[in-house]
Amino acid sequence: MRSAVPLLRVILWAQWRSVANLRVSEGAWGRWLAALAALLWYGLWTAMALGAAVLLAEPSRQQLALVVPWGLLSVFLYWQLAPLITASLGAALDLRRLAVYPVPENALFQAEVLLRLVTTPEMSLVLAGSVLGLLRNPAVPRWSPLLALPLFALFNLLLSAGLRGLLEGLFARRGVRELAAFVLVLAAATPQLLLLAGPPGFLREVALRAPPVYWPWVCFGRLSIGWFGPQDWALAGVWMAAAYIFGRTQFQRVLRAGQAWAATGADRRPRELSRDRQQVGLLSCWLGDPLGVMVEKELRSLARSPRFRLVFLMGFSFGFLIWLPLVRHRGLFWENYPILVATYAVLLLADILFWNAFGMDRAAVQFWFIAPVPLRRVIQAKNIAGAMLAFVEVSFVLGICALLGVRTGWAKVAETYAVTLSLSLYLLAAGNLSSVWLPRPVDPEQSWARASAGRFQLLVLVVYPLLGAPIGLAYWFRYALASQTAFLIQLALAALLGVLLYRLWLGKAVELAHQRKEAILRAMTESGGPVLMR
Amino acid sequence: MCASASNRPPAIELQGLRKCYGGKVALDGLNLVVPSGCFFGFLGPNGAGKTTTIRILIGLTAPSAGSVRLLGLPMPGKAFEVKRRIGVVPEDSLLFDRLTGAEFLQFAARLYGLGGEVAAHRAAELLALFELDKHPRKLIGEYSKGMRKRLMMAAALIHRPELLLLDEPFEGVDAIGARLMKDLLAAQVRRGATVFLTSHVLEVVERLCDRVAILHQGRLLLEAGVSELRQAAESLEDVFVRVVGAAQSGHKLEWL
Repeated sequence: MRSAVPLLRVILWAQWRSVANLRVSEGAWGRWLAALAALLWYGLWTAMALGAAVLLAEPSRQQLALVVPWGLLSVFLYWQLAPLITASLGAALDLRRLAVYPVPENALFQAEVLLRLVTTPEMSLVLAGSVLGLLRNPAVPRWSPLLALPLFALFNLLLSAGLRGLLEGLFARRGVRELAAFVLVLAAATPQLLLLAGPPGFLREVALRAPPVYWPWVCFGRLSIGWFGPQDWALAGVWMAAAYIFGRTQFQRVLRAGQAWAATGADRRPRELSRDRQQVGLLSCWLGDPLGVMVEKELRSLARSPRFRLVFLMGFSFGFLIWLPLVRHRGLFWENYPILVATYAVLLLADILFWNAFGMDRAAVQFWFIAPVPLRRVIQAKNIAGAMLAFVEVSFVLGICALLGVRTGWAKVAETYAVTLSLSLYLLAAGNLSSVWLPRPVDPEQSWARASAGRFQLLVLVVYPLLGAPIGLAYWFRYALASQTAFLIQLALAALLGVLLYRLWLGKAVELAHQRKEAILRAMTESGGPVLMR
Repeated sequence: MCASASNRPPAIELQGLRKCYGGKVALDGLNLVVPSGCFFGFLGPNGAGKTTTIRILIGLTAPSAGSVRLLGLPMPGKAFEVKRRIGVVPEDSLLFDRLTGAEFLQFAARLYGLGGEVAAHRAAELLALFELDKHPRKLIGEYSKGMRKRLMMAAALIHRPELLLLDEPFEGVDAIGARLMKDLLAAQVRRGATVFLTSHVLEVVERLCDRVAILHQGRLLLEAGVSELRQAAESLEDVFVRVVGAAQSGHKLEWL
């Protein structure tokens, strides 16, 4: 049998070359910005890792036995849930295209598991910091963290590979994906709902109680501090085996699907389009051609994209549940709950609608450069369609708030629309620039994939607070100065600034699009390496 | 023979066209005049610069040097006016996968300035003509390669363009579809339109085109009327091989 290592090396080399070649075509600015964003993001996690290294160096083993399992639970949750919350599955082998080559399944599986590291490298940093802290702790045997925490990382990698395969399988099926999304939302919400339903002080009580030993974060935690019995080893072994079997079986299923695709070349099953959406034809009457027909096209294309539909669904379902813990005490957040959820939903949609507006056009993006339509109008059409869909999403959020009995008077409804649409102006303004500056082809069939480039996701963490600052300032006026008038004036000023920024940056985006025409076309028609980033 | 009218400017006029990608020269001082009403074949081996030329013509790529005039108008200076009067079938797909064929054709027609009713009417006729009307609710993403090419051709024709720029239009199209496309293109030339075509199928070019040009390594090696070539008792394939490929055929691989 051929060794898996050289094959792994070849796959990773091809991916490296694909990424490196893309980087070269981005130019110096793109590279610098990507480096800056990575520095900020990973700097933050490195600081956390160093914090863990310092904090874990002192406590006694009794104290560690309480703290470490909770820390590992946090790592576990982040590792497994981060792809769900961001609606992206991270890097994975493009098994459809690799299936035609004689690569042993074992090597592919190993590569796939290793790629799970790329999805959440933050957790590797935190675990490394924890290992360092425990090594410095005189109460902990040296070998314990060195053995147990890498094993815990491997457990997470295997589980994460399996989850990925499972999700990909579920979301590839029409009809099933909506149901699967709903089940996922419920599953992710269960802890929050339990916390909410529990008596006051429940959370504190749970945190102080020694957690049941059979959970993986507990047995690996106990192993890592060298305070364990034989049952901990047995449990760790059972968890590892379960994660391996789950990861492997899911991987095999995905691989079989990829081989079937490679054999037939059939990308998707033929289908009949349901009778839909002729109503969007009315838009042409209101907006006039060519703007109207372009908005129509955007709405039709987006409504038929599984990727868009999933994110749209998540915005008003998942959004409700993940923010529940913040509103337990019915304070500030409870008062602004619809706004919080609506903002989350718009930010989630922004990935598809605003930040990479040409992404789903892929190679067809050249149509916009060939058609006798000014590019300014094309971008405006995409923006109008995006804003309309964001408006509908916010309406869904408000409707569900009303159904669930969340207090939403007319003033709050108006405030929610005003805040989210003002925010959308800022997102559109910045999104137009990013759409022409960092374009990336997106497969609309892939339900669970990011629309914007990974490095852009990092940049967004810096950009969002800046873009949201004028609106945040309005809330600061309301609560720090206790003045509703000041709030409304600032909100109006923020909206006005948003309009000005939008107009200014739209012109810049059009100029940039003409300058970068060839780079955009190249980026949108290029296929990636053997690893898909989702 | 090109049906050029003396009062019409050349359909395509390229002067000293040069395009460099980094250190690599893709086009090296290309001079070319394509008369109006001509069926023009633009030939060359892979990597000769044909697609680059077409991309420059339609404004997708900026030349490093030189000038381009289409239908007598400078590009990219009058790009908007030019785009309304040309039809394009590029090598890559221009199609939006999440639309149906009819929706895409209507969309293209309305961007070319046709009214809604005319657009719908022409779209339906073209779909029927290209035999794409069997599954009206099928998304373009589910089309085969040949169907996509036929749809692109339909979109390029829907506004009755004066100049058609076609990059490998018959690639992946079955014999019946290709025959239909050839007949349509010939009809376009008869009504006075100009067709500028690249293809590797030399028999097709020889049968359809009035004039041909052969490009190699970014340079124009030959430009002649097809009838002139026939008089020299050589097929287009013989000419092509003689001009660009003779030196390459001698190598044999022992192990193969």
